[in-house]
Amino acid sequence: MFADKRRVSRREFLRLGGAGLAGAGLLLGGVGCGGGEGTGENALGWQAIPSYSPQAPDKKRVDYLNQSISGWEEAYGEFTIDSLISSSDVTVAMARLLKQANEHRTPDIAQIDSYVFPRFYEYVYPLDGYLEETGVTDDYFPFIESLMLGDGGVVKGLQFTTDVRVLYYRKDLVPEPPASWDEVLEVGRDLKDEGLTPYLFPAGRDEATVTTSLWPYFWAQGGELVETEGNPVFGEGENREKMLSCLEFIRECVASGITPTRVTTYLQETDLNADINAGEVGMFLGGNWQVGILKEVTGEEVFTSTWGVAPIPSMEGGDTHATTAGGWIWGIFARDEAKQRAAVDFLLYTFVGDQGMAGWCNAGGYLPPRQDVFDLSEYTGNEYTQTFREHLDKYARNRPASEAYQNISTAMQVAVASVVTEDASPEQALETAVRSVSLQRRD
Amino acid sequence: MVMSKMAGKRTWSESIRDSPALWLLPLAVVLGVTFLFPIFEIARLSFTDASLLDDDYSYTLESYLDLFRSPYFANMLWVTAIFVFASVFLQMLLGFLIALLVDQGAKRGMRTSIVTRTAVLSAWAIPGVIIGIIWSILYEQSAAGILNYLLSFVGFGEVPFLSNPQVALASVTLANVWRGTAFSMILLYAGLQTLPDDVMEAARVDGANAWQRLTRVMLPLLAPMLFINLVIVSIETFNTFDMVLALTGGGPGRSTEIAALSVYNQIFEQFNLGQGAATAVLLVAVNLIMTFVYVRFLERDEGVA
Repeated sequence: MFADKRRVSRREFLRLGGAGLAGAGLLLGGVGCGGGEGTGENALGWQAIPSYSPQAPDKKRVDYLNQSISGWEEAYGEFTIDSLISSSDVTVAMARLLKQANEHRTPDIAQIDSYVFPRFYEYVYPLDGYLEETGVTDDYFPFIESLMLGDGGVVKGLQFTTDVRVLYYRKDLVPEPPASWDEVLEVGRDLKDEGLTPYLFPAGRDEATVTTSLWPYFWAQGGELVETEGNPVFGEGENREKMLSCLEFIRECVASGITPTRVTTYLQETDLNADINAGEVGMFLGGNWQVGILKEVTGEEVFTSTWGVAPIPSMEGGDTHATTAGGWIWGIFARDEAKQRAAVDFLLYTFVGDQGMAGWCNAGGYLPPRQDVFDLSEYTGNEYTQTFREHLDKYARNRPASEAYQNISTAMQVAVASVVTEDASPEQALETAVRSVSLQRRD
Repeated sequence: MVMSKMAGKRTWSESIRDSPALWLLPLAVVLGVTFLFPIFEIARLSFTDASLLDDDYSYTLESYLDLFRSPYFANMLWVTAIFVFASVFLQMLLGFLIALLVDQGAKRGMRTSIVTRTAVLSAWAIPGVIIGIIWSILYEQSAAGILNYLLSFVGFGEVPFLSNPQVALASVTLANVWRGTAFSMILLYAGLQTLPDDVMEAARVDGANAWQRLTRVMLPLLAPMLFINLVIVSIETFNTFDMVLALTGGGPGRSTEIAALSVYNQIFEQFNLGQGAATAVLLVAVNLIMTFVYVRFLERDEGVA
């Protein structure tokens, strides 16, 4: 009898199923409607990539963020922070955020890769009114300041970290770091004779191949990837010759035996760490963020006594260097003025003000984009920090924010690998890249 | 007479009630929303110049024309063809051999056949990204590389597993074979269990040797299972991209960029939704043609049987 009562008829089953589906639909609809700014009247939606969020794998960062968030919430009183996480794939995360911005579904505050920030100018809210008397925008590196300011010098966002690419060299084996390509080849041959792998750099299918191993060579010659309208010009006229010379130099590194073809398996700068740790590398192109990791792996004393840092070698040498800088900017999308004010206050407290920037850069091992922060006693840095600062000041450039950039980057990553593996001559590789980019253009 | 006609004529509600359509409707809705609609959307987007970055687009054939004119298109087709053909052939061959060994072992009372099946199947159960990472550690070319270290004991120099374009394609294919062989093995092992013992015994009594029993009795009886295996493995291999993404990212250059990975790269690296969708449509078309051909073969084979 009891069993009979529990049996569900087909009609009841369908009814229940229908109700369930409708409920799920409503729930999903609700969640969909809840996107964008829908984080509650007294909550600020704050979106970061995983490694910059309270879900980062690094305890130091998590502790800093949790303490800072709770400290700010207590001090400000009116708002709480609703932490949102974007994709860990930076390219995908930025594409999604741009699409969200198009559809007006962005969170109140979002983390934006600095070089694509100009594409968000039309969606973010100006911050000048909230920054008066804070003085935080007075001491940014000039190349960062120009990125943060939109038309008419309006502050569009707040950069809170930066980074830079350099040449690392073995101080015990290379007394004078090479400044020109010829010197790289010369020093490299000597290191090869001593049984070392002389010169490594990333050359796989990833952004590091161009930001670290190609653009610095190209920019140091005065080359330009796109013109002022954002159209690709890297394969035209003088730019073509300059790009070709870069590819020829890379080819020469491999042909002379100072660079092994396995560099095509290095997607990120950190992929070189195993080789470096094995103690068989003489020089490599890498990023400032590798210092912390390599110190942990090789031991602090060993690393600092062994490795020196110099500008990325250029064709001419001397002081004609260039390098790629990056970093992250906070953009504020909140429409409500009270939220905008609270968002700026939160960002100053945690990431951009003197204490905030020093605290976050210490926790994450980043370089501060504000020059004065380097001099604060709260900012610890490391033995190389002043050199990185000098490079940021003298040589650093951002990648262009043009829509064509992603296609140029992909095409040139392939070109570099083709040249390294001898799949194509430098001329053929560049020609293929130019043709590929021209086909991908949306006019 | 009228009454009997009335009685014979079913009302609309009775027709609905007795028809299976009502019962199939929820399934049709779910399939339509989750399967047919995305395919329709992909096909529609392939005729646009849509980008992932903004909502404005126009309808055009340029996505297809650009795809065919691309300097990388022929290479992508060639790389995909080699990857799929070699993977499918080796997965089926090795899967069949392992299934045969396990089957013979079980018939001879070998207690480890379950352990063997579980061990082989675990390779299939591991996510592609993890397999890509595992094999990238094995293939590592520096001093830390495991395979290169082992090969050095038998006199091999440094093998450029992932840095030479041709060797990289072979390395990626090998990793995929390692991953997919288990599926073939399980399917064909199940097929071997269905073979009638009396037929095999009759062949033995008639004096057929092991090779003749294999090629003239066992394989013809296994043909339907082999065809199903072929269809599933082919489609799965065509659509593989996660393992290759983790292992090489399509490099060096584009030497391991198979079609499915190309779709991913075009959409998520270059934000080119239109061209990525066009490549996806091409991939679906190849899959459909292959399935159609296989099914026709299977039907013909069954018809003859």
